[in-house]
Amino acid sequence: MDSSNAAGTSNGGSGDGDPAAAARRNTKMPKYSKFTQQELPACKPILTPKWVVSVFFLVGVIFVPVGVVSLLAARDVVEIIDRYDDACVPVNMTDNKLGYIQNETISKECTRTLTVTKDMKQPIFVYYQLDNFYQNHRRYVKSRNDAQLRDYKKANQTTSCEPERTTADGKPIVPCGLIAWSLFNDTYIFNRGNENLTVDKKDISWKSDREHKFAKNVYPSNFQNGGLIGGAKLDSSIPLSDQEDLIVWMRTAALPTFRKLYGRIYVDLKENDTITVKLDNNYNTYSFGGKKKLVLSTATWLGGKNDFLGFAYLIVGGLCIFLAFAFTLLYVIKPRKLGDHNYLSWNRHPAGR
Amino acid sequence: MSSRIKEMMRVATARLGGEQSPRGGTSQAGRAEASRTARLGGGGGSLRRQPQPQAPTVRTIYCNDREANAPVGYKGNSVSTTKYSVLTFLPKGLFEQFRRVANLYFLMISILSTTPISPVHPVTNVVPLSLVLLVSLIKEAFEDWKRFQNDMSINNAHVDVLQGQKWESAPWKRLQVGDIVRIKQDTYFPSDLLFLSSTNPDGVCYIETANLDGETNLKIRKALEKTWDCVIPEKASEFKGEIQCEQPNNSLYTFTGNLIVDKQTIPISPNQILLRGCSLRNTEYIVAAVIFTGHETKVMMNSMNVPSKRSTLEKKLDKLILALFATLFTMCVIGAIGSGVFINEKYFYLGLRGRVEDQFNPKNRFVVTILTMFTLITLYSTIIPISLYVSIEMIKFIQCAKFINNDLNMYHAESNTPALARTSNLNEELGQVEYIFSDKTGTLTRNLMEFFKCSIGGEIYGTGITEIEKGGAERAGVKIDDDEGKRSATAVHEKGFNFDDARIMRGAWRNEPNPDACVQFCRCLAICHTVLPEGEETPEKITYQAASPDEAALVAAAKNFGFFFYRRTPTTVLVRESHVERMGSIQDVAYEILNVLEFNSTRKRQSVVCRFPNGKLVLYCKGADNVIFERLADGNHDIKKTSREHLEQFGSAGLRTLCLAYRDLSREQYESWNEKFVQAKSSLRDRDKKLDEVAELIEKDLILIGCTAIEDKLQEGVPACIETLSAAGIKIWVLTGDKMETAINIAYACSLVNNDTKQFIITSETDAIRDAEDRGDPVEIARVIKDSVKQSLRSYLEEAHRSLRSTPGRKLAFIIDGRCLMYALDPALRVNLLGLSLICQSVVCCRVSPLQKAQVASLVRKGARKITLSIGDGANDVSMIQAAHVGIGISGQEGMQAVMASDFAIAQFRYLTDLLLVHGRWSYLRLCKVITYFFYKNLTFTLTQFWFTFQTGFSGQRFYDDWFQSLYNVIFTALPVIMVGLFDKDVSASLSKKYPQLYQEGIRNTFFRWKVIAVWGFFAFYQSIVFYYFTAAASQHGHGSSGKILGQWDVSTMAFTCVVVTVNLRLLMSCNSITRWHYFSVAGSIAAWFLFIFIYSAIMTSFDRQENVYFVIYVLMSTFFFYLTLMLAPVIALFGDFLYLSLQRWLFPYDYQVIQEMHKDDPHEYSMIHLPERSHLSPEEARSYAISMLPRENSKHTGFAFDSPGYESFFASQQGVGVPHKPWDVARRASMKQQRQQQHTGRS
Repeated sequence: MDSSNAAGTSNGGSGDGDPAAAARRNTKMPKYSKFTQQELPACKPILTPKWVVSVFFLVGVIFVPVGVVSLLAARDVVEIIDRYDDACVPVNMTDNKLGYIQNETISKECTRTLTVTKDMKQPIFVYYQLDNFYQNHRRYVKSRNDAQLRDYKKANQTTSCEPERTTADGKPIVPCGLIAWSLFNDTYIFNRGNENLTVDKKDISWKSDREHKFAKNVYPSNFQNGGLIGGAKLDSSIPLSDQEDLIVWMRTAALPTFRKLYGRIYVDLKENDTITVKLDNNYNTYSFGGKKKLVLSTATWLGGKNDFLGFAYLIVGGLCIFLAFAFTLLYVIKPRKLGDHNYLSWNRHPAGR
Repeated sequence: MSSRIKEMMRVATARLGGEQSPRGGTSQAGRAEASRTARLGGGGGSLRRQPQPQAPTVRTIYCNDREANAPVGYKGNSVSTTKYSVLTFLPKGLFEQFRRVANLYFLMISILSTTPISPVHPVTNVVPLSLVLLVSLIKEAFEDWKRFQNDMSINNAHVDVLQGQKWESAPWKRLQVGDIVRIKQDTYFPSDLLFLSSTNPDGVCYIETANLDGETNLKIRKALEKTWDCVIPEKASEFKGEIQCEQPNNSLYTFTGNLIVDKQTIPISPNQILLRGCSLRNTEYIVAAVIFTGHETKVMMNSMNVPSKRSTLEKKLDKLILALFATLFTMCVIGAIGSGVFINEKYFYLGLRGRVEDQFNPKNRFVVTILTMFTLITLYSTIIPISLYVSIEMIKFIQCAKFINNDLNMYHAESNTPALARTSNLNEELGQVEYIFSDKTGTLTRNLMEFFKCSIGGEIYGTGITEIEKGGAERAGVKIDDDEGKRSATAVHEKGFNFDDARIMRGAWRNEPNPDACVQFCRCLAICHTVLPEGEETPEKITYQAASPDEAALVAAAKNFGFFFYRRTPTTVLVRESHVERMGSIQDVAYEILNVLEFNSTRKRQSVVCRFPNGKLVLYCKGADNVIFERLADGNHDIKKTSREHLEQFGSAGLRTLCLAYRDLSREQYESWNEKFVQAKSSLRDRDKKLDEVAELIEKDLILIGCTAIEDKLQEGVPACIETLSAAGIKIWVLTGDKMETAINIAYACSLVNNDTKQFIITSETDAIRDAEDRGDPVEIARVIKDSVKQSLRSYLEEAHRSLRSTPGRKLAFIIDGRCLMYALDPALRVNLLGLSLICQSVVCCRVSPLQKAQVASLVRKGARKITLSIGDGANDVSMIQAAHVGIGISGQEGMQAVMASDFAIAQFRYLTDLLLVHGRWSYLRLCKVITYFFYKNLTFTLTQFWFTFQTGFSGQRFYDDWFQSLYNVIFTALPVIMVGLFDKDVSASLSKKYPQLYQEGIRNTFFRWKVIAVWGFFAFYQSIVFYYFTAAASQHGHGSSGKILGQWDVSTMAFTCVVVTVNLRLLMSCNSITRWHYFSVAGSIAAWFLFIFIYSAIMTSFDRQENVYFVIYVLMSTFFFYLTLMLAPVIALFGDFLYLSLQRWLFPYDYQVIQEMHKDDPHEYSMIHLPERSHLSPEEARSYAISMLPRENSKHTGFAFDSPGYESFFASQQGVGVPHKPWDVARRASMKQQRQQQHTGRS
């Protein structure tokens, strides 16, 4: 600072023997850099027809095969869906379904017969599907306490579990909250002829949930003790981490129509096999007009029967290839020379504005 | 001890209270003061108000007596320009931040989100808000810290203060009013001082006021004779004067006060006042008394309140934000109504029986609706882009500090001046300017005045031909021989003098038919001025320091004619005259200057009364032709007539003219007048006005000597720049105080007007108006002018429309003079005026006052709602600069006042091309892109939430995790858009200038129209649907061979991943040029998201939070479905945009796109900058330039783009980083005066 001041006051630096240095210090000329002069090397993509057609074509070429593969995978899946909520209501109660389901004295047992439409390779996944069930409702979603579930020391912690926090006499409910309270409680028993098809209910939940969100030493307590029973009861001798139905149920669904995994059957089913399902139709979907469905499905690497992805790929891929041709055609029909200065606005309206 | 002081103070207060209180006129002194003021101020109707009226109108200062001054409690001399202190920083800084609506909105949302109504954790809104606030506060703190350091270095500078009987060094901040200080040569005045004595004889000192007004010429200050002996400390300590003066105010060039010494009252004029910020020159040291300290000094009072401007784009942005609020509201209403309808006890699993909180109570659906409304506002708050403002601010700041200030193309090597962005608010405004209002002198022209021709006694001397005449002749088809070699041997070309006529050079005038007139002419030139000679007293080596280059040129002319002015003392002017009778012999003559009647813009003339050695009294006067002609004695019509003709001839050659006149005075005449003059001079109130009135009394019955013509050279590159700007669709108006002929000729020279142009001229110089003037009734004159203006406006407007229809391509020009303009600006005529001037390509307003300049600018700004730019160099342009949307000051040439008022400062008019066509255009394009992109990305994100709302029973459940939402704006999508704001450019700088028409896209606001926004909005809508439904489809089936089902948080994480990827890719798609910074930032943002989610979903915390997203990403990544969706969703989402962009480009290309295509194979341009100047550098300069190009240390000075004017630059320059000045950089004193006047008009 001092030296530059000195140079500034000295007469053009002629005295100090180094005029160049003085000039250099005195100049306010900006330093050149590509950044400040805005000349950073850059790629300047121009969406020329060549690019447009190539991109469309490339996308098409990639997407169509992916679509075909996904679609084929989805086609391999065999899915049997059976809606049983209406059918299981006794004929005399069809006008009062709510009365039926809320009346504990009426047996909820019900038998359904399913016919296998195609060969099904094991494992066969058993799902239940609910409709119009807003597991993603805000009041519902937040009505749980994760700390309580994973740490026995925090069993008393029931914040945010309203309205299922405590029993009437103030004891904390474990697991608390609406989600656990409304646990699905229909049960299914499958028979093929006389052969009992065992449903394996192990490993139906994600491992991370089992191991980290639900503790091995937390046991249900005070659960479903209140006046209103929302759904299934839990065996209070089994730790939460082994209550897989609960764990599955508590991974709340994104949409009001959802499936939950019930179990797996490790038996191959043949086409036209008849399966009888003895089910306990306990869960109340009648009050809000929800549907209950039982789903038997195989799975591929892509999962269950989902044509959506395959079709989407196929359609987009096809559209892209079509557009590639369409654009080529457009360029033939309505060619525009690149950089044609007739397109400049001031050449189009020569008179000016 | 302290109690003693207190006691003393109380006593002193009691003693002085009466004098200080305005109402307490009971004390003797108070009454005396009041009566004196009344007597002196009673002369004329005092229209002038005190700039800052305060309770006591008079301040009394006891010099050298701290105790007497103590009770009044004058402020100390320490200054603080910081906005905050350590304690106030947080509250005040936050308050400032929350004055922004966006921040306040988010604060409210944050508060709302702490209530149970909120679907989101407070973190969602608090984190982005705090980050935004943090960035803003850090910026504020940094700037304030710089200011603080600046203050500290100033406050701790040392000055010698009289303590007892010797000088003691003390820091500036310790100074108090009334202290006696000693200032040494080349140091700065620590406060406003009353000059007491100097080491120079005659009590004179020289000061440089560069920090105040940029004028580098030295000015003389002269102490009152009474105080001359205070040089030595012993004497100074005896000095016990009492100063009574006006209260502190911000008028730099006025001061009224009296010094009372030994019961004698002496008037103080600005001539004895030394202002803080000026420095002492050519004087060993001076002694002075402190009168105003610290923030009460004039320079500090000037640095207050700068009018802040907001760009038009930002105002439009406000509308966009409003539209977003409307959208938000609509969405919330839809959702809220839905929730009211949905909520029902039948959903038993929601536990809605019994006691339910209000929000979900099905028994009161109305409350549910209202509360859900708030829930949804919190949920959808992301629709307002919180980081938009801070991003824009950052982008603009870097654009200014790094790009504009460092542009080599705008660096003027000769004056060593780079461009300077003084505000960073208006970058994009530069890209939309449609009207430029330009000052002429100093902006279009160089303000390098050269004496070119003169007319003496009815004879024209000077054979030169101006550029304008050449141009005119060429247009007329006459070839003019322009060979430098042919110039006669007598031709002289030096600074200020470019004249060739053997008839009068070097005393040859005595052979002319009218030698007496020549003598008077030369004497007038040599005597009637305020020039200071500097350097050796020989004709070759002397340099003249003048307030105006015209003056220096005139004195130089006198020198060349044989009247060499070589020395000025406070009372005399010494001239070495060629002997009137004998050729070759010289004599030194001392003319005693009795009075100087200074130039100002109302007077438009300057006179001196001098006494010849033989005792003859003569008044010499020079001034504008109309002013002089009004005051001429009767008779001698011939010479008046020929002189008038000559004046017109000079004017049409683009020359600036002055008339010279003199008057012989008798002693009695003079003495009676001088009495009045002295009285006026010592009056406390309205001194200027009275002085003007007194001057009128003597400046009459003048005898015309002749007139001078000075060439005003055009700035380099002006015509080319104007041509480029016109091609860019910018209309240029010239607003000048010059005569109509001069103005029109400059317009010709600048190719604003050519022979094909149809000119509409409204002038007050018509016969009808002259007749009315001769009759002399002012009301009648006004009526006549008004009628004629009205009539011509109407007929011209019709004619213009007709011409527009018949020959559409024809250029039209409108020329009006100030007097007519005054009437045309009348509300009744304003519409016609505006209509006519908007049709015309160029408009020239001549003879306009600074105020009219501002009126014209705001006429177009407000009346036509066009974006305007004013460019000027002088103080008379300040109001115009402030009135327009963008104000540009020419730096490095004239005074600093225009620069201080401006938003951008450039060294040359021609740099406007770069500033507007390159920087402005790019800034505009970039900001449009940034804003629309912000709009798009937030809308897309929020709409996915909106779609989800429909499927959650309108409960307002959030789709995304809290942290996703809070980091979306500030981390995952923040950086790339800033890169676009900095680096995107459609075509290179050289192409921007080559195709100026590209600029019209900005004028038409092509890139920030509702249409453009609608397109982005449509695609945001489309994309959000894609993201939501494509991923939501996932929750229904098993995904993978395990058959397990994904939950809500898996789906939302997947959707969020798609959004982040797509939104970042979309940005890349809209880039015109992609640098490696783009790649880094885009890839970095996407990587940041994955990094975040990998870590975030892998940890469990002991905090009370729902572990919703625990492990989701790993769960997702274990399915093929995730990868397929991640590939599909962005492609489908961008499919629409891509299709749109391809079709748009192919079928309806923007101009810039065509240009891009035309030049797509051009090599990169970064080898194209060689020398920024096409000027010729001397070998020495070239060498220093080459050296300057070598790598070197960064300057510590980083530009003060945000600083307030006046103050900062003063201190910046004190630290050696100030605004540069050329050695010949002198400013017109006229501009100062006009500034003063304008302050008055502005205030009254």
